[in-house]
Amino acid sequence: MTNEPIAPDAPAGKARTSILVLDDEAIVCKRLKPFFQKAGYEVETFGDSGEALARVRERRFDVVITDLKMEGLDGLAFLGKVKELHKDTDVIVITGFATLETSRESFRKGVFDFVAKPFKLAEILDVVRRVEKERGLTP
Amino acid sequence: MELPSLTDFFARWRAKPPVPFSVLFKKFKSILERNNAILGLIGDMGDKLGGDYIFDRQYILDSCEKLGDQVFKLVSDLSLLCQRKNVGLFTAFERISHQIREELAGRRVLTRTDHILPLCDLTHDLADEGGNKMANVGDIRNILGFTVPDGFVVTAGAYFEAMERAGLRARAGALCDRFERGDSANWAGLAEAAAQLQKDILAMPLPKGLAKSVKLAAKRLAAEGGQFLAVRSSAWGEDGESSFAGMYESVLGVAAENILTAYRTVLASLFCEQALRYRLHRGLSKEEPAMAVGVMRMVDARVSGGLYTYVPLLEHDQPMVVSAAWGLGKPIVEGTAETDTFLLGREPPHELLSSEIGLKTTRLARDAAGGTRTEDVPADLAASPCLDKDQLVLLAKTAMSLERFFKRPLDVEWAFTSEGELIVLQARPLSIKPKICTPGPDVAEATKDVPVLISGKGVPAMGGVSAGPVHIVVEGADLADFPYGAILVTHHSSPRFARIMPKCRGIITEMGSATGHMATIARELRVPTLVGVSDATRILREGQEITLDADHIVIYEGVVEALCRYELGKEDVFEESWEYRTLKRVLRHISPLTLLDPDADSFSPEKCKTFHDIARYVHQRAVDKLINLSEEHREIKESAPHRLVTKLPLGLTVIDVEGGLRRGAPGEIREEDVLCRPLRALLEGVNASGMWETCAVAVDMGSFMSSVTRTMTASQSHPTTLGRNLAVISEEYLNLHLRLGYHFTVVDAYLGESVNDNAVLFRFMGGVTDFTRRSRRAGLIAAILERYDFVVKITGDMVTGRAKKHPEADMLDKMYMLGGLIGYTRQLDARLGSDDDGRRHFEEFVQRINALREARQ
Repeated sequence: MTNEPIAPDAPAGKARTSILVLDDEAIVCKRLKPFFQKAGYEVETFGDSGEALARVRERRFDVVITDLKMEGLDGLAFLGKVKELHKDTDVIVITGFATLETSRESFRKGVFDFVAKPFKLAEILDVVRRVEKERGLTP
Repeated sequence: MELPSLTDFFARWRAKPPVPFSVLFKKFKSILERNNAILGLIGDMGDKLGGDYIFDRQYILDSCEKLGDQVFKLVSDLSLLCQRKNVGLFTAFERISHQIREELAGRRVLTRTDHILPLCDLTHDLADEGGNKMANVGDIRNILGFTVPDGFVVTAGAYFEAMERAGLRARAGALCDRFERGDSANWAGLAEAAAQLQKDILAMPLPKGLAKSVKLAAKRLAAEGGQFLAVRSSAWGEDGESSFAGMYESVLGVAAENILTAYRTVLASLFCEQALRYRLHRGLSKEEPAMAVGVMRMVDARVSGGLYTYVPLLEHDQPMVVSAAWGLGKPIVEGTAETDTFLLGREPPHELLSSEIGLKTTRLARDAAGGTRTEDVPADLAASPCLDKDQLVLLAKTAMSLERFFKRPLDVEWAFTSEGELIVLQARPLSIKPKICTPGPDVAEATKDVPVLISGKGVPAMGGVSAGPVHIVVEGADLADFPYGAILVTHHSSPRFARIMPKCRGIITEMGSATGHMATIARELRVPTLVGVSDATRILREGQEITLDADHIVIYEGVVEALCRYELGKEDVFEESWEYRTLKRVLRHISPLTLLDPDADSFSPEKCKTFHDIARYVHQRAVDKLINLSEEHREIKESAPHRLVTKLPLGLTVIDVEGGLRRGAPGEIREEDVLCRPLRALLEGVNASGMWETCAVAVDMGSFMSSVTRTMTASQSHPTTLGRNLAVISEEYLNLHLRLGYHFTVVDAYLGESVNDNAVLFRFMGGVTDFTRRSRRAGLIAAILERYDFVVKITGDMVTGRAKKHPEADMLDKMYMLGGLIGYTRQLDARLGSDDDGRRHFEEFVQRINALREARQ
């Protein structure tokens, strides 16, 4: 009984909406990843904004879900960079402290929507589905 | 900010009494508002355990802080209202806050100074004290109800104390650091240091108190029958997210007098080189290691073995494998014995897929002199199977119950005694992962073409995925024949389902709340549960195979293998996360209401165990104070009438803030004098014919009176002084606090000019009957409120219903209904002997009140 590697992803060729989740609270990543995977998304999660940014430089995601308040590069700066790199990536901000100032700033930077923490799983899924609808990502 | 004004206030109070009534009344109102805000916060925090929400550490910290702040202000408000310092209440607040802070800091206050934790008290909530492995055993015994060997744990706290006293704790920490930084060139040096530390631990003196209590506990355990003991490791992290399987020491066949040597042996194994390397490999080096030690009575096993609930064999579909041999289990687990091997289906009836009978010529047995010895097996036994079919099925059922609880494939060690009793020795997660658990196509693909029976309806009370046949339980049905492995589908949620939860794979109810009693029990047992799935009993058919995905709120037709396997293969189990466990633990100091009877001696600040208790206490005292004020305060006493004579003895004191009573009404007022519209409508409902007398059990006025007065003193119960219920009114406002028997009802209603301001709040709690009846009553009241368009929330057995922004006529109609409800539900608990009664009362109430409402309109 040995540890086997994770089964390969679904057959290639079927484009699935890709999501990057960035939150320094590990629990958020741990729960969103299987939830979105089960709902048919391709998901990568990061607890560190530097690592997430490096990944965004490597490839484009359809949706980025990020917390605002983090150590190091904060969420606002991160989402700015994401938008610089990939204009057509939609960013959803999840945060426990949304001040008027940060939300104004986020929307100025082109955030798709804000979801206040704590949130229901169905809520965040709804927002992602709205992105898909507006971008024509759903079949 | 708070303190200077407090001082000012007292100074003013002393200087020129009395404080104007309007000032005190404002304080009273702010207490009510704060009380509502606190109960709302508590309910919100409880909701988060349902699995429906994503919340993080910050949320827990913020909520606790916000709540603590509100409760502190509430207590301060009461001090101002009563012009008393309330030292006892502040002390209770400080005590509870301290407990919450300790929980948040991860410091469990060790209530057992002797460091001994009996197995009967151990569950996962105490995993930090008992270690993971023994906490698992504790859950198996105390939550799931299976038999495990008797025993106790020497806590992780004991380890720290012993190491600290022997001056070894710092060295152990330094050694772990060195391992973390260690390069391969230095391995030899590190191994040597580890060996030396182990030697020193084996020789270290134990603190006297600890040694004494360990010896005493071992002696007691041995003397009760088992003579010899098994001493097992239960380190932090062992058998949890990491396994450390087989790295730490277990000592078997220990006589009570040798317990300390065995204890040290297990402690020392914490620093065996293999475990240190494993820690490094798993990235655990930064955490200080700790070893709790389990001491259990040796089982005189006739047959023992291991069971994997999931094996990666391609030729069989989802088998589980059992290895078994005669005697004690150690050689089987270590793989040195010849065994029988059985493959069984994971699904009931757990069909025997194959069996391979080994030639078991020797067995390990307990030695009369202590320890164990290998002995020959009689020839006729050696070649025969050591388990029969019934035993295999019992094992399979037990193992699957464990797997559903731990939400992972498991490695279960078990034994059958010579009396044929199955004893679970331990269960640890199997580290076989994804390939077997998510074979073939991706999980989302797999569910794509599966017919969906219900989607998006209901609220998860406990997340997770499970599959099985539907069993619809109608009210009053006998639960004794609930089929093993089925999914319970029913109308109302009820804590009486607790009995069958170990047998059932999932729960779907049409009504009920994610914070009610049943939900709490479902979470304790980790049974995936959806509540509020309307029409579930109509859509789902008896015996139909379904897959319930409570996380995504979807019910699929048939068994969706990929989904179930995906669930088992998930890396993290939410219920084991720090966030989940911590929220659950802090809520224990926040949410339960233990102060039930305001007339009991125990209704005191000293007895407040939770923030909810404090809120309840303050609320009651504030209402009492206002009633006193209305009787004694100069401004009120001399001018306003205040005792309302009602047709039914409600004992109501009325404080009219503005325009709620007819001008010039005499000191004793009658219902006709009431101008307050919400109160008039409510009284009409209370008085409406049939709302008091229609109860299933006839209750005459005399017994009603006795329920009101049974705990009051003789002078209080005299009709002229009876008047301890309070209504604060104006023409459009009613704030009612009604205590009938042990029930406590709050109604807060405002019906003004603008529809947007119209709001009614109804809250019901208390009662001293058993848990099940109170919970049934809560369910019934919630159902009735929902029927009349209230938004309802149940927290424990407290029901809160809110209706907002309905036109005035509608709102008055609701007040009328509430009046009827207050009359109807008084003493109702006693008549809620079964769930069936609940349904019947719902229908009866709705029918009667509707007839009355129509006639009225």
